[in-house]
Amino acid sequence: MNCLAMRYFLSPMLKFLLRRLLSVLATLLVITAIIYGIVCVAPVESRARLYMGRRVSATLPPEVEQRWIESVIQEHGLNDPYPIQYFRWVSLLLRGEWGWSPILRSDVLDALLKRSPATVELTLYSLLLFIPLGLVSGAVAGWRRTRITDQVFRLVAFVSTSIPPFILGLVLLSLFYVGLHWFLLGYLSTAESLAVRSSSFKTITGLLTIDGLLNGRPDISLDAIRHLVLPVVTLSLFHWATLGRVTRVAMIEELDKDYIVAAHARGLPPRRILWQHALRNAAVPGLTTSALSAASLITGVYVVEVVFGWPGVSKLITYSMWQPDVALAAGFAVYSVLAVLSLMVLLDIIQAVVDPRLREGGSKS
Amino acid sequence: MRNLRRFLSRQQNLLACTIVGFYILVAILAPQLSPPDDAGHPSPFRIVGKSHDPIPRPPSAEAPLGTVPGQMDIYYTLVWGTRSALRFGLIVTLTTACLGVLIGAVSGYYGGIVNGLVMRITDAFLTFPAIAGVWLFQQVMTPASSFAEPTPLQEAWLNLKLHPVMLTLILFSWMPYARLINASVVQLKQMEYVQAARAVGARNVRIILRHLLPNALSPAIVLGARDVGGMVILESAFTFVGLGGATEWGVLLVTSRDYVIGMSGNPLTYWWVFLPATLALVFFGIGWNLLGDGLNTLLNPRTSH
Repeated sequence: MNCLAMRYFLSPMLKFLLRRLLSVLATLLVITAIIYGIVCVAPVESRARLYMGRRVSATLPPEVEQRWIESVIQEHGLNDPYPIQYFRWVSLLLRGEWGWSPILRSDVLDALLKRSPATVELTLYSLLLFIPLGLVSGAVAGWRRTRITDQVFRLVAFVSTSIPPFILGLVLLSLFYVGLHWFLLGYLSTAESLAVRSSSFKTITGLLTIDGLLNGRPDISLDAIRHLVLPVVTLSLFHWATLGRVTRVAMIEELDKDYIVAAHARGLPPRRILWQHALRNAAVPGLTTSALSAASLITGVYVVEVVFGWPGVSKLITYSMWQPDVALAAGFAVYSVLAVLSLMVLLDIIQAVVDPRLREGGSKS
Repeated sequence: MRNLRRFLSRQQNLLACTIVGFYILVAILAPQLSPPDDAGHPSPFRIVGKSHDPIPRPPSAEAPLGTVPGQMDIYYTLVWGTRSALRFGLIVTLTTACLGVLIGAVSGYYGGIVNGLVMRITDAFLTFPAIAGVWLFQQVMTPASSFAEPTPLQEAWLNLKLHPVMLTLILFSWMPYARLINASVVQLKQMEYVQAARAVGARNVRIILRHLLPNALSPAIVLGARDVGGMVILESAFTFVGLGGATEWGVLLVTSRDYVIGMSGNPLTYWWVFLPATLALVFFGIGWNLLGDGLNTLLNPRTSH
């Protein structure tokens, strides 16, 4: 590709990305305001934890901690009007001080980041699985409308959207882990996790499948994959079915349009019409739906993590049963919103790559 | 009436109505199907045998579908849980649908900057995963320590007697309705009949309620029918994570989770601990989903394939 073509492609793409970034910032402002609004219902003593950054040492005697809490309430004006408090809290968030969790006895942001890679790995592989599969199977079903392929697809998709993922996860575990022993439970086997913790293993991306290869230990990657298969399948099935169904309907509508008829009339091979002409347009509604339901995907990630004992961020939920921990829950909420937003932007970029109209400044309806 | 006959003439719709009707019937007839011990205040759970016995017992004369660990009668809970599942699904769906329709219609009718702003806020709500909301609400509503009094704000909140899951799902699932209604209202208000209504001096409330909503409502009805099942399944997923407890089917599944994996690699060793409850949930979802599909073909014949 020569230089001119590069500029032609990049500049609308860059503009598109900048516009997305602005709207992401606006969204963040609104949603953090809502989160802090909910947090404000909590008593002042619980909220004070939000303002105790990394400065707190892990073990404080109760009386000292009580005095500390009171000074934090004074210092940060926790009885001030809501807008003032909100902006103070946001500036703390931006500085990376997300508060201190009394249950974990650690900084909230550290706790979240420590468990992040496992969650990211699970989410990424699910996306890699269900987006191509959903688009292709939906397109083929729409192409072969009312034939046997279509009917099988519709049946399987319908069943997949009806089974609750947490039950599906347990049944898959009992079949493939307990029964056949093809795949494994948890994150990593004991021998491999010892190897990962040893000093010779360098954590580069945090994703075990990739770090294993980078460290020249393909066996670790393989072990990680054996642990990933079941949770990824459980998570993907529902979203695959939804994406496939929307794509199928879009495909059927697309195939009725004039430009497809014209392409047929010009004598283009049908396969080429399907994959190069129709799919580009038919993929957009499905990807938009996936982007809009990114929040439910993240909820699904957390549920699947719990079912499979995955050491991701959802582990934090199970810790907080005994003591109120507003800071941890608020940090978790902000983290989850950031995760959803990055998913949405990722799906938007895929859309813009597939459909040039979006890049050229047309707005999605 | 003609519509109803046309609706029921499709096998799929007949099946949907049968399934949903069956659940409603079970909910109404719960006292007859499974008489409670205390007819005045029926509890959704009943323990047969010793409550410290952790081994689930197979179906017997006492418990027709067996028991889960802790000897809770599965059949009894399934029957009585139908009531709370239906109640939960319908309350959450109706409230979110009304909220979303109202927000979407009013802001779409006024249009301009207001609509842009409201839709921005709607999109912001869309980025919030419900599970984080449930957790946050639970944490926020608990007093600072076990001997502390709840704050006035918390007190007011607790007096509403709303389950955190219900509250979260209502607050964070109205957005699809608002978006759907908004899109059609923005289109419809340009049409001549609306301008005619305005010209003869109809008030805004009347235009929205009588002229715009009836024409814009059908996609929201379809979405609502599908949501009833979805909300109950979502709630039981939250229960499974440890954040729920508003419906009893989820509780049933959580208590027996260790036995689902089964012993000796056969998932059917303890089939009764999860199969009946799962099927109850799955068919609940399927029934409402089919009903939504049927309504879709009836109400939006052009867009349904």
